[in-house]
Amino acid sequence: MLGGLKRLLFILFLVLPVIISITNGGHMKAWAHEDEVEGEEDELSDDDEVNVDDGTGGEVETADGGEEEEEEDEEEAAAKGSPDADTVILFTKPVGAGTELPAGKLVEFLVGFTNNGDKDFILDAIDASFRYPMDFNFYIQNFTAIPYNRAVKPRQEATVMYSFYPAEAFAARPLGLTVNLAYHDADGNSFLEAVFNQTVSIVELDEGMDGETFFLYVFLLAFSVLLLVAGHHFLSSFGRKKGSKKAVVEVGTSKRDDVDYDWLPKEVLNEIKKTPRQSPRTRKAKRVASSK
Amino acid sequence: MMLVLRSLVVLAAVVVGVLGEGSEGEERARLLAAKRVHNLYLVEGRDIVVQYSVHNVGQAAAVNVQLTDSGFSTEDFEIGGGQLQVKFDRIAPNANVSHTVVVRPKKYGYFNFTAAEVSYQPSEESVEIQIGYTSEPGEGGIIAFRDYDRKFSPHVFDWLIFALLMIPAQLVPFMMWYNIKSKYTAVQRPKKGKTE
Repeated sequence: MLGGLKRLLFILFLVLPVIISITNGGHMKAWAHEDEVEGEEDELSDDDEVNVDDGTGGEVETADGGEEEEEEDEEEAAAKGSPDADTVILFTKPVGAGTELPAGKLVEFLVGFTNNGDKDFILDAIDASFRYPMDFNFYIQNFTAIPYNRAVKPRQEATVMYSFYPAEAFAARPLGLTVNLAYHDADGNSFLEAVFNQTVSIVELDEGMDGETFFLYVFLLAFSVLLLVAGHHFLSSFGRKKGSKKAVVEVGTSKRDDVDYDWLPKEVLNEIKKTPRQSPRTRKAKRVASSK
Repeated sequence: MMLVLRSLVVLAAVVVGVLGEGSEGEERARLLAAKRVHNLYLVEGRDIVVQYSVHNVGQAAAVNVQLTDSGFSTEDFEIGGGQLQVKFDRIAPNANVSHTVVVRPKKYGYFNFTAAEVSYQPSEESVEIQIGYTSEPGEGGIIAFRDYDRKFSPHVFDWLIFALLMIPAQLVPFMMWYNIKSKYTAVQRPKKGKTE
């Protein structure tokens, strides 16, 4: 058996390398080929903006926060309203000029549109967005655009309503709020008018009683009660004389030992008094002694 | 010569004044109207509260304001309260008015709440009537009453039936226990110390 194994090993270690070296002209190595990468290395560099075009022209936040140039051109081209249209904005929640908006609460406003021209206008949508107050091209938050598709005839007016919630995280910060109304006329020209484009400050409304303040009061009440109890305890212990003796408990003098037999029924007590009490061991010894 | 010049200047001033007034100093009322559906749930046969608010953002008072809502046809809705047509004589500048209507839908399904019409005179002297439209609440789904009832009613009758059905399930074990217990209830012994 071992002989067979030795022979097998012999074949393996001598014959196999011979075969390998003969076949394929001695080439049994693999050469690594570098893939042809076309132009990639030239274009990549760390600090460049990554231009992502998702084909819809929507806003994309890039590495340094700047907006794509394509979009700026689009917006500039359409960021004007028609001279035949007149818009006005009115904040209904909270009532005012809209310069202070509550964080976490609903903000609602109405936009009035008057058609001073001769052709129909169709109001497409309103979209609102929060922008960086120093640079209105940097979007901080984009709110959902509400589509209306309202037709406004010449000489008539229409009102549209929009509402949104400023996030609680923005409290006590100034932000630029931009409200755009997109509409087009019967000829197909589309217009984008900034109905509101100002810096607003997000304020945090001070509620009277919320969960935190309620439990704060509960805690203060409990703490004051604790102080009162502690003070009472210390004062009363101070008043008492130190080392006062405990009252001595009176016991009967007739007992020979400390055992209390009151709990036994009367017949058993009588029996105990008659017979002498002996421990079982002595009784046993006595019995043994007596039997012997 | 001087007279001609002076009269020309005066004429020019008048013309400019008139034109200027025409475009700048004209005081008009501008109304913004909103229509809101107040309900969280729109249920067939139950009240829907519709609130209209009209705001005047112009400089003059709006006169003879008429608010008409023809979006609730009588075959689909019945009026629970308020009028679908209301008139306000005057709305002062920077003032607003509100109006509420309660309707009850007769059918369930999707319903498009359309805008109501507002017509007013932009100022006291103007003859033309300005027509405008309120904001549209949009499409809402009116739930069938049986679905709403299944979710929200107190189900008193169902609970009564449940209680009735539970009575035998509680009573039978109780009677079994009571019978056994009453056999082994301790009886007071006359003397202390007597073991039985």
